[in-house]
Amino acid sequence: MKTYGSEPGAPSPVQVGISELAVSDGDDTLKSYGLGSCLAIALYDPEDEIGGLAHAMLPDGDAADNSDRKPGKYADTAIRALLRRMVERGASYTSVEAKIAGGSDMFEFDSFGEGVGQRNADAAREELEKLGVPLVAEDVGGDHGRTVEFTPGTGRLLVKTSDEEENGVTEL
Amino acid sequence: MRLDVNALGTFYRMAREGTGLAAGRLTHMTGVETRVGVTKLNFMRGQEIRRDFRTSKTKVGVRVELTGAIEGYSLIVFDRENAIRIVETLLDEADSDAELDVETDEFDRMSRSATTEVGHIMNSGFIDGWADVLETVIDVSTPEFIEGESAEPFFDGVSGSPGDDDLALLFQSRIEAVDTEIGFNHYLFPKRESMGALLDQLRTSEGIEYDKLDGFDRMAERGAEEVAKTATTLTGIETNVEIRRLNFVSLETIPEQVPDEKLVSVAFEFEGVPSGYLIFLFDEESAHEIVDAMVPSSVDEDGFGEMGTSAIKELGNIMASGFLDGWANVLDTAIDHSTPEFVHDMGAAAVDPVIVKLGSNQEFAFVFDTVVVADGREFDCEVYAIADESDLERALNDLDVDRIEETPTTAEFQEVDNA
Repeated sequence: MKTYGSEPGAPSPVQVGISELAVSDGDDTLKSYGLGSCLAIALYDPEDEIGGLAHAMLPDGDAADNSDRKPGKYADTAIRALLRRMVERGASYTSVEAKIAGGSDMFEFDSFGEGVGQRNADAAREELEKLGVPLVAEDVGGDHGRTVEFTPGTGRLLVKTSDEEENGVTEL
Repeated sequence: MRLDVNALGTFYRMAREGTGLAAGRLTHMTGVETRVGVTKLNFMRGQEIRRDFRTSKTKVGVRVELTGAIEGYSLIVFDRENAIRIVETLLDEADSDAELDVETDEFDRMSRSATTEVGHIMNSGFIDGWADVLETVIDVSTPEFIEGESAEPFFDGVSGSPGDDDLALLFQSRIEAVDTEIGFNHYLFPKRESMGALLDQLRTSEGIEYDKLDGFDRMAERGAEEVAKTATTLTGIETNVEIRRLNFVSLETIPEQVPDEKLVSVAFEFEGVPSGYLIFLFDEESAHEIVDAMVPSSVDEDGFGEMGTSAIKELGNIMASGFLDGWANVLDTAIDHSTPEFVHDMGAAAVDPVIVKLGSNQEFAFVFDTVVVADGREFDCEVYAIADESDLERALNDLDVDRIEETPTTAEFQEVDNA
């Protein structure tokens, strides 16, 4: 969700709502809540300590006519928009790495076909490969929700599930 | 007057844009970091709007009259204590010695004028946002300060304010201050003729007759009544419908309004005219209460166990049948639903797969938002019915408006043996 008046280094985490993306640096925290089939895509440049988080909802933006207006909505256009904004901010394309989380398939409805979450993760992997960005870690699929917290400076991606007993928090 | 999804989509963008500008100005004015909360287009009956005002705390508002491209009234409403907090923040900025006497019943002159100023700047933010989207000019009257516990003072003198049975289109937005409790609502009551003219201008298809939305509302009403009735029959807990609303929102908004906590949900897909998804969400305490009521002999487990899960699925299943029968009766169609899917997880995570699925074909959705509660016991159930857009338009177009009033509710329930 967009915030107004947030300054760099502000202590409160910036919420990245569905179809949104945000680029930042250092110790800022970017956070996306309650991902089910949506996909969190985190890109970062470990040398320049610049990174960004997208909360994508659908796989294929090239096939949609509103992806110019909402690049963060689609896995492919979100990755390109993150990269562009990071490079504009001083990141070097060749050192950027990626982590993804989410893309669960919570329901087995007939209309869902082979899985709406799965498609999002596949689309992200494909786009990253096309752009030559290494995917260094992922926590995708399954049938549970995830909340992610991303620190652009270090590239640390915390993945929380609602299961308190086992694997409540995973660090990617 | 006819409307279509494109016209409503533009209205929605106006609401979003206006909320963004208003939030930015509030931040600029108070130095408080703000966030745009949920923005909705609401179709509500006059009596529901009035009930909204009545059931909550004392409110203060700032109202302006609009002329030009949109005619009607724009109203910012704060809970009284929130208004006091904002005014305190403002006065702090201006003069650190100033102290507010919050104990007095009446707002003093200074707080009134400060609130009016804040309200007016926010109203102007919204209106500038709409004018930007419509690329036109909207004129604004001088602001009026209003205080009251019911809807009357807020609606007094509003020509064309919706009668009890009139379905009004409301723009509802929420702006929240990050890390504090300040939040408020914004309402736009456009005049019917003015809205009709705008809709004609924005429509890109033939769309549907506005009066057919009455059918929507009747569907929502029947569906909600059935859910409450079924819940009472099955659990023995007296329940009633607390909120029933028809919203037009961007798909992304739907998971964002789900509480950020672990919830128990039962989800269905339904097919027919219309098709879509139906989700019941219970907080954990309510879900435990339901299990206790339906399966008294079950062991109190940490999770919900096999018995608990199947009890909740069964309740969901019968509530879904009731809800969709209510719809089918109004629409005179048949609607089938899938077997229940049980999820005990983060609330938003149980809703987002549905919007991901619908998102490939539509950007917005009509959401039938219902909250069922029980007196004195934990039973909070939120119901989201999200229909496939094209089906819904078809269903409504086929609807014979004259039939709506006569439709009886015919769904019947079997007693369930809990022993």
